[in-house]
Formats: sequence, C-alpha cells, structure tokens
Amino acid sequence: MTAAAVEQDQVFAIAEEVFAAMVDGEPGHLRPWEGDVPAPAEPLAAWVDVHGELAGRAAVATDVATAHALTRALLGMGADEPVGPEDLVDAFGEVANVVGGNVKALLPSQGTLGLPQVRSDLPAAPAGSLTHELRLDWRGRPLVVVVSLFQ
Amino acid sequence: MRALVIDDSRTMRRIVAGALEDLGFSTVQAGDGQQALDLLESGEEVDLACIDWNMPVMDGLTFVTRVRANPAWRNITLMMVTTESEHGQIVRALAAGAHEYLIKPFTTDAIRDKLDLLGLVPAEEPV
Repeated sequence: MTAAAVEQDQVFAIAEEVFAAMVDGEPGHLRPWEGDVPAPAEPLAAWVDVHGELAGRAAVATDVATAHALTRALLGMGADEPVGPEDLVDAFGEVANVVGGNVKALLPSQGTLGLPQVRSDLPAAPAGSLTHELRLDWRGRPLVVVVSLFQ
Repeated sequence: MRALVIDDSRTMRRIVAGALEDLGFSTVQAGDGQQALDLLESGEEVDLACIDWNMPVMDGLTFVTRVRANPAWRNITLMMVTTESEHGQIVRALAAGAHEYLIKPFTTDAIRDKLDLLGLVPAEEPV
C-alpha cells in the first residue's frame, strides 16, 4: 500500500461525517482532542480489515462507557437506558464498519472489507505499517480512530 | 407498502427500518441474503428491499442477482444500503439489477430522497 493512499485529514472528514449522519444527527460534536488522551479504565476497540492487494485496518477505540453512550445515540435510546452486550458489540462494530468502508474507498485499488470485530484490545498492525491515529473528542469523551495501511 | 431490510448489523436494521416506518412502510428484517431469500420463498411479499453488501452466509450482490433471476420477484425494488462506495462497486450492483444505491453513512433525508426518486414515498394524507 502506498503511504500517500490515505491522508489524516481525509480520515477525520470520514469520522466527522459518520458521527454527524449516524450518531448525532448534526455536525459539530466531534473535534480533535486537546492534550493527552487519558488511558481508558475499561478499553474497547472495534475494527474492520481491508483485504486485497492494498490491505489495512480501520479501528475505533474508546472506553466501555463511551461505547455505551455511542450505542444509545445510534439507537435513539434514553440517556439512562441500559445497553445490552449484544447491542453494544453490534452498534460499536457498525461505527468501525462504516468508517472502514469509507476509508477503503480512498484506496487506489479495490479490496474487500472484512466483518467488524470488537474486543477489549486492538491487535497490533504488522511491522512497517503506516498508521494514522486521530485523537478525538466526542461530546467531551475521548475516542481514537486508527487507520493502518499495511505495507 | 412493505419493505425488507437486509443487514447483518441489527443496529443498522433498526435504523433503516425506523426510517422506513416513519415514511409509512411496514417492515420485515433479515440478517443476511439467504435469510431474505428464505422469507421471499416462504411467500413474504414486499415492494422494496434495502440491502447491505457485506454480510456473512450470502452477500447483498448475490441476493440481488438471485432476486433478479426469478420473474416472480420482478416487481421488488432493490436498493443497496452499504459502505461500499467505490464507483466500480456501484456499477456492479446496478448491473446486477439494483435500482438505487445509498452509501453509509446516510441521513433519514437521504433515504427519503432516494425513495422519492423511485416513486416509493407514500403520498401524505390531505389535512
């Protein structure tokens, strides 16, 4: 994969569009995180892999509490409504899926998108990968979007 | 009108079905292309199918091809609702028989606009 295939600004634009359209229903709630991102007490990561001649991975990582809030926003649930584990995995995985699908469209050669995976830890990208890491602030909560382009 | 929403993500099924129900559709859901085909073969009658591309068991493109191969289902309008946004993928889906293509992420207004283009937005009741 060529290093210039995906630019950091393009990844931010995708994340912004995904959150505005699917999560918040309006733009303006996702912005760059100022300062150091606090380590999540209970981490959760969702990702999709792109397979093919040009391969890579798009991931969203945050803490479980933020993933719950994202799920509530996606499903139009009340602020105190409990989120079931299946809904959490499905909704958080779908955010990564939509980000990943749009990142894939930036690549100069067509690949195939894997199914979303959700785990407490994001697997390391292969050595030599080019990685963009966007530290973002969603409604005051830290969230990281990671796009790795496997070399 | 009745719509079949096909997506392996139940989150996305709920979002799409909710938008369609707001427009006056009744909906039925399937988690992959094979489940959707099984529903149609069991006699489920729908006017519209909203179809994700990447799904386990049977993907959306295969589902479109299978529906188009059966003359009994020729009146079903097929709309891909997917993250696959490359031009080549859109051309493949339309060539296989999809009528419209909606790229995720989308707004409920975007769904309405696509259905409007297809002549599938129910007329509003006169006040």
